[in-house]
Amino acid sequence: MIKTGFVERNLKILFPLPAVLFVAVMMAFPVAYTLVLSFTNWNLTSGAPPAFVGLRSYARVFAEPRFLAAAGRTFLFTALAVACEALLGIAVALVLDREFVGKGMLKLLLLLPLVATPVAVGIVFSLFYDPTIGLADWALSLVGLPKGAWVSGAATVLPSLVLVDVWQWTPMVSLIVLAGLAGLSPEPYESARVDGANEAQILWRITLPMVMPTILTALVLRTIDALKTFDIIFAMTGGGPGYASETLNILGFKYSFEYFRMGQSSVILVVLFLVVMASSMGIMRLRAGTPA
Amino acid sequence: MIRARGRRAAVRGLFYLAVLLIAVVLLLPFFWMLASSFKTQVDIIHWPPKLLFKPTLANYARAFGEQDFLKYFKNSSIVGATSVALSLLLGLPAAYSIARFAQRRISVFILVARLMPGISFLMPWYIIFSRLRLMDSYAALVLSHMLIALPVVVWIMSSYFESIPLEMEESAMIDGATRQRAFRSIVLPLSGPGIVTSTTLSFIFSWNNFMFSQVLSMEKTKTLPIAIYNFVSYAEVDWGAVMAVAVSIMTPAIVLTMIFQKYVVKGLTVGAVKG
Amino acid sequence: MKKLFAVLLALIAVAFAGAQAKELRVLLANHPYGDLLKAAIPEFEQASGIKVDVEQYQESQLSTKLATEFASGSSTVDVFMTRPLQEAKMFYKNGWYAPLVTYDFSDFPKSALSVVTFGSRTYVVPIVTEWEVLYYRIDLLKKAGVAVPKTLAELEAAAAKLDSAGVAGIASRGSAAAAVTQMSSYLYNYGGAYLDKGRAVFDSKPAVEAIRYYGRLLGTYGPTGVTAMSWDGIMPLFQAGKIAMWTDASVFYGQIVDPTKSQVPAQDVGVADFPAGPAGNTPFISVSWGMAISKKSPKQDLARQFLAWATSADMAKRGLAAQITMARDSPWLDKTVLAKVNPSLVATRAFAAKNGVPYDRPYMSAVGEARDRIGEVIIESIDTKGESAGLEKKAADMVAKVDELLEDTGELGVQ
Repeated sequence: MIKTGFVERNLKILFPLPAVLFVAVMMAFPVAYTLVLSFTNWNLTSGAPPAFVGLRSYARVFAEPRFLAAAGRTFLFTALAVACEALLGIAVALVLDREFVGKGMLKLLLLLPLVATPVAVGIVFSLFYDPTIGLADWALSLVGLPKGAWVSGAATVLPSLVLVDVWQWTPMVSLIVLAGLAGLSPEPYESARVDGANEAQILWRITLPMVMPTILTALVLRTIDALKTFDIIFAMTGGGPGYASETLNILGFKYSFEYFRMGQSSVILVVLFLVVMASSMGIMRLRAGTPA
Repeated sequence: MIRARGRRAAVRGLFYLAVLLIAVVLLLPFFWMLASSFKTQVDIIHWPPKLLFKPTLANYARAFGEQDFLKYFKNSSIVGATSVALSLLLGLPAAYSIARFAQRRISVFILVARLMPGISFLMPWYIIFSRLRLMDSYAALVLSHMLIALPVVVWIMSSYFESIPLEMEESAMIDGATRQRAFRSIVLPLSGPGIVTSTTLSFIFSWNNFMFSQVLSMEKTKTLPIAIYNFVSYAEVDWGAVMAVAVSIMTPAIVLTMIFQKYVVKGLTVGAVKG
Repeated sequence: MKKLFAVLLALIAVAFAGAQAKELRVLLANHPYGDLLKAAIPEFEQASGIKVDVEQYQESQLSTKLATEFASGSSTVDVFMTRPLQEAKMFYKNGWYAPLVTYDFSDFPKSALSVVTFGSRTYVVPIVTEWEVLYYRIDLLKKAGVAVPKTLAELEAAAAKLDSAGVAGIASRGSAAAAVTQMSSYLYNYGGAYLDKGRAVFDSKPAVEAIRYYGRLLGTYGPTGVTAMSWDGIMPLFQAGKIAMWTDASVFYGQIVDPTKSQVPAQDVGVADFPAGPAGNTPFISVSWGMAISKKSPKQDLARQFLAWATSADMAKRGLAAQITMARDSPWLDKTVLAKVNPSLVATRAFAAKNGVPYDRPYMSAVGEARDRIGEVIIESIDTKGESAGLEKKAADMVAKVDELLEDTGELGVQ
């Protein structure tokens, strides 16, 4: 009896406690470890034990042109990917937002890229993009276009990677927006039609604003994941050609596991984390600002 | 009249064309992967791409022939099931509490786990797990996958619980039941669909996880995505076998998705729609 | 409470038992030798009574795994395959290799031992070597009336004649870090080098000439997208019949003549010595893989037993018979084994062994990063077909960066 009372009175704390403890424990050490390491100069190739150097590792990382380039690329990749996924996703959702034969089947098809193993997707698209035997060039040749450099060209590698990301994640945006559209109340539409508004005005003035919160939530999710994209870049280019597809996450991996500069890779990871957090907070603020 | 109908038919036609285009774009990579898994190496690298070819089962024979493959399958299943089960155990009460007591800070705290780049976990976790001698068991993998599954469960279920009207628990509590009781005997049974959703999604994410599994697994506990690289060797890439492995990894996830399609869609869209 | 206690006790007991049992944890690479060993392990287990836990990984994932485990200080690895030129210096510096004091190295060529010996002790047993060769299409050369190139000048001329819309005249790795190893022979044959007496020297006149040549060759006659290609991108092209000549390591021969993988009939594939340059002909012949024991392993005796078996002359003979180019000398002198090996491999090896250089990359701890830096110069050269006016400056800049790496790791000026 007393036991039940204790649990009942403290339900607010006891129910979430195990989950919170788990997350805290699993994250505490890695966060502390990464943070502490970022203030050292630990480098496995020097054979010397790690030493505290304050902000020197930060200085060295920021002075390295590759770092700034990687940061730029991370934003570029994310902006391109999220923008395409948003536009395409909304477009596809608008097209599919009606009853038609095979709707269920199409929704199932939309799910497939989402559940595909990212590493496998990267490998398959690598074959697609191969400069001599790839399907992508063959498709281009069918419509009379010249071969593309895809992931072999420094200028085209990032868009080619964005294409893969768009293929895999646009369906998620579409599904989210579809669900949002389905939940819209019909009244505003009726009154608008009564007032004589045309389709375009309805779309622009009513549908989109009403579904904007949903869209923004989808974009938050996508932005967080796009900033951290790893599997497909790792599987397809490893950051190449040269450094042309090196994002912060890939650079962090290289610094950790190929250059063995543990101190500096920690700096990169700290920066990446801050970027992700700032971006998601930024978009959530945007969302809070939109009329419900 | 006829013109209007003709126009409607044209719009209809265009619509179905768009639908077809979408379907083709979505399916093409899968078909290509499937087809390649039945081609010989020579056919895979053929140009122009071979649409007609003599199929072979040799790639699958090689992929499964490593008696290890069943082991990877077993490991992925065990790690997936265990991490999801434990995530439900921890996540359901947490989600309920967040939903009923509007504990935004706790919700954000758990979701922050999603923001950290995966790499930052690798070395520290490796150190802890090996010091605790947990590397030989599934513990390392299960715990790391839980860090992905738990936020998913909490995210989905907290929205789900919010949508269950308070009246049900309140009437039960007026009748003298404790909140815990109400949670266990009233809310949980009603949460079937939400639980199926979060279970399916987190299982699939665990199934596809590559980064954590690569560093935190030992030979005994290797999972499926790692198996792809078994066929990338020092002087050779066995494309056929790689494709066969890729197909084998994705098929269970796809089948699972087909069966629980409704729930997977719900899981991906909930919370986003709620606003 | 009692149950928890019992479980804890059981866990401790198991952990203890694990430490005492005759068991070894061995890490191998996805490599024909690794496959050979893995298949033969039951023999070892039977003969020695030691249970062997084998793990096999793709080469860069193996490095990642080993480094992560060793750096964390609590690895349980006992014996492992390792790449001397890529890892040995770093692993040695961090004290991860156990010195092999009781091992008999007399059957190994001096050049092979030079990369695995530090001070007076040797730390890694060389297993396989590879050297740079010129693969070529006998039929295509005949059709174009071109003789097998013996010099780099002839190579360029041949590439020009053989290059056509559907077939690239020549291919070689162009992907930054990957290209560094295969370009080394070109570099040496022009009289250049990556490092000399602990300093980066690839901005010297002969070196830049070599880099320009490489860029011109690949930029003009190489396959599209070559700057993103390593062997795994070039080999399928060769197998699909789209490349006339290919310079790369000797290990790929088996693949390009295998009828289940290659569309090119075996009789059309030739293997020649790497062509000579203005400064002579000293292609690389390097120890690509070796085997070592982890210094912290508590089972040094068992590990030494396994190492002796896995790297024995007998095992080497088996390897060579399976077309794996072993590092030991004795299998190459055994007539019965030699009869099974492709004669071109034997001939090119003999040439490389006599004249070659044991390094295909700058031999330093921070080699991973150095390769990326050198790769920047190579890519610029290929992108501009060797014409870039700023190539000397780029090379000088990268030399400065590599010198920085050497300095950071205490290796600057150290021979």
